[in-house]
Amino acid sequence: MATNITTSDAPDPRAAELANATTSHRQGNFVISTRKLPISKAGPIEAMEKDLGIPVPEMIFGDNVMAVEHAPSRWRLEFNARNALDGVDKTGEQMLQVAHASSWSASREQTSAGIKEVVKPFDWSYTTTYKGTVIVSGGGAGEGQHNHERGPNWTGQFQPDDTPIPIELLKRRDPILFNDEVVLYESELDDNGASVMTVKVRVHAQRMLLLCRLFMRLDNVVVRVRDTRVYVDFDSETVLREVTWKEGRFEDVKQRLLGRGIRPEGFAAALRDSSQVAEILPTVNMWKDSVMLMP
Amino acid sequence: MSDLDKAIAQLRACRPIPEAQVREVCHKARELLIEEGNVVTVTAPVTICGDIHGQFHDLMELFRVGGDPPDTNYLFMGDFVDRGFYSLESFLLLLCLKVRYPDRMTLIRGNHESRQITTVYGFYDECLRKYGSANVWRYCCDIFDYLALGAIVLGAANSFPQPTDSTRSEEYYDPDIEIEVCDADGNVMSRFRRDNGTSGDSEQKSPNGTAAKTGPPGSGASGSSGGTVGNPTGAVLCVHGGLSPLIDTVDKIRLLDRKQEVPHEGAMCDLLWSDPDDIDGWGLSPRGAGFLFGADIVKVFNHRNDLSLIARAHQLVMEGFKEMFDASIVTVWSAPNYCYRCGNVAAVLELSEDAGGEGIFARSNGEVGRSDGGPGARGVLMDAENGALVKGGPARRYRVFQAAPQDSRGMPAKKPVADYFL
Repeated sequence: MATNITTSDAPDPRAAELANATTSHRQGNFVISTRKLPISKAGPIEAMEKDLGIPVPEMIFGDNVMAVEHAPSRWRLEFNARNALDGVDKTGEQMLQVAHASSWSASREQTSAGIKEVVKPFDWSYTTTYKGTVIVSGGGAGEGQHNHERGPNWTGQFQPDDTPIPIELLKRRDPILFNDEVVLYESELDDNGASVMTVKVRVHAQRMLLLCRLFMRLDNVVVRVRDTRVYVDFDSETVLREVTWKEGRFEDVKQRLLGRGIRPEGFAAALRDSSQVAEILPTVNMWKDSVMLMP
Repeated sequence: MSDLDKAIAQLRACRPIPEAQVREVCHKARELLIEEGNVVTVTAPVTICGDIHGQFHDLMELFRVGGDPPDTNYLFMGDFVDRGFYSLESFLLLLCLKVRYPDRMTLIRGNHESRQITTVYGFYDECLRKYGSANVWRYCCDIFDYLALGAIVLGAANSFPQPTDSTRSEEYYDPDIEIEVCDADGNVMSRFRRDNGTSGDSEQKSPNGTAAKTGPPGSGASGSSGGTVGNPTGAVLCVHGGLSPLIDTVDKIRLLDRKQEVPHEGAMCDLLWSDPDDIDGWGLSPRGAGFLFGADIVKVFNHRNDLSLIARAHQLVMEGFKEMFDASIVTVWSAPNYCYRCGNVAAVLELSEDAGGEGIFARSNGEVGRSDGGPGARGVLMDAENGALVKGGPARRYRVFQAAPQDSRGMPAKKPVADYFL
């Protein structure tokens, strides 16, 4: 019916809503922006699940974004929920089982033998390999010119680089000119723990630090922290990235908390605190890379 | 003013009551709950609510929107505690109201009403913080074990009552309205008519459902069941999570031994934990524990048990409610801005009273022979002329509401703290 056809020249209320929810801060040649909106509605969730091929976490902030953009080149590093979830294993090969799964299925053998098929296997812990999305808008002629200044081999992609993030500089109490925190998704893992993907940022006059963290705790099984740190030096227009994966058995984490003087009644609170847990988890994997944006 | 009324007043102000009084209230509640069957029978009108999760100020908002107890008959489908900051005040207030107005307040058990879950998700810590000991937590957990596992709503009308107050009289009254969605002030946001095949409106679909067509609700289910006495639309089963492969009739729920901690497996566990999903039949959750059930399971169950609808909670839905499977099951979620950060709205489901069934049922918490209405009872009010065969499901009014204003919580709006994280 004609009434159901939307005309293309109608103003898009959605665009205005998205723009209103965005906060930006410019520092040197960089623009740091965050967008925060409520969790996605039924329609967008359905579309995303179809697109990704896995069920999304119950708290899915599909419109939330944290981005760092280099204004002269339009180079952009962005963190969003859709791409973060795209980094989750969709085959079921990485699939964990909740602590009581074996007792559960054993007790079920007699009573409901018919039901053994796992529905849509995937890594429901939402552990992701996501390190951010690089967007290089070199397509147009105008943009291309800028990027040609950076040489014909410049791709805008991160290249392996052992240069560490200068932690000492970040420990200084320089004034924070802009800071924010954005949640991308969160799952309660059906009350078997938690899996939370958050991005936070702090911007100083000369530098900024962004931390994208996946914190996954499967009660009585395993605890994981996957950090992506992005450091930008505004003067040299250099972006350093460090990815650190940490993982430990739940029991080991508890033992270490005990060793640090946390009393058993404080376990629950401590196990909800990703920074406390991250400090005691062993590192299982680490990468460093960088990208130079100065022409 | 009795001690109980004083306790209610104090809890309404979001102030905890002394430990000794908690103990007393729990003792009285236990006497009451022990008499209830696993499946409580509730007569419409009733307002059905989903998860609360310690969001006390939003519970107050719910009462503002849905009407104050005991003026409104409430049915809460569990998950009163954990995650929010005021699990204690929220649960104790509901429990005090249950003791004060037993026939106007029905509480059924959610998966968070358990010792194990509350130690992980906040209620235990909250009790420890507010009382300095775990005693109150223990009293509450003992009560959890006595909460009913489900409820059956009888006598729900299949059309909205004709407006009687003059303020609404200018509105056109349409007896074919099946679903009405209202905002917090009672203004109608949308209406859905019953699709009886003559409307010709192909765009009509269930609100918030995934590609669900609102046929006659419960079609393929109660539509042909004829309903039971005082129950021309078929009854509504309320349960926190969902169905169990071990339970094919409501009566089997009645036979469970519920007075225990929520077990890790078995029918009782399933009723509190399982979820509907777009699958065929039964499936195992990828997590390795817990069941998922598809549309066919719900339809067969509803048909077998004379149900027109299953109302459940347990899963966060952005819109506050979500009907699935041709409106044979609905998820109701009553915690707005869940965990103080999701930005979602919440809803309650109102079922109005069927004029024909008025006064037939005395409220009973015991085990009535519901499924066939008892000998001699069946057929008394049942007649094909009342349209039960066409109009399957009850008329449903969803009242959608937002979180209580931030300043009413007595805590500052959450702003990201400028921390020197590394």
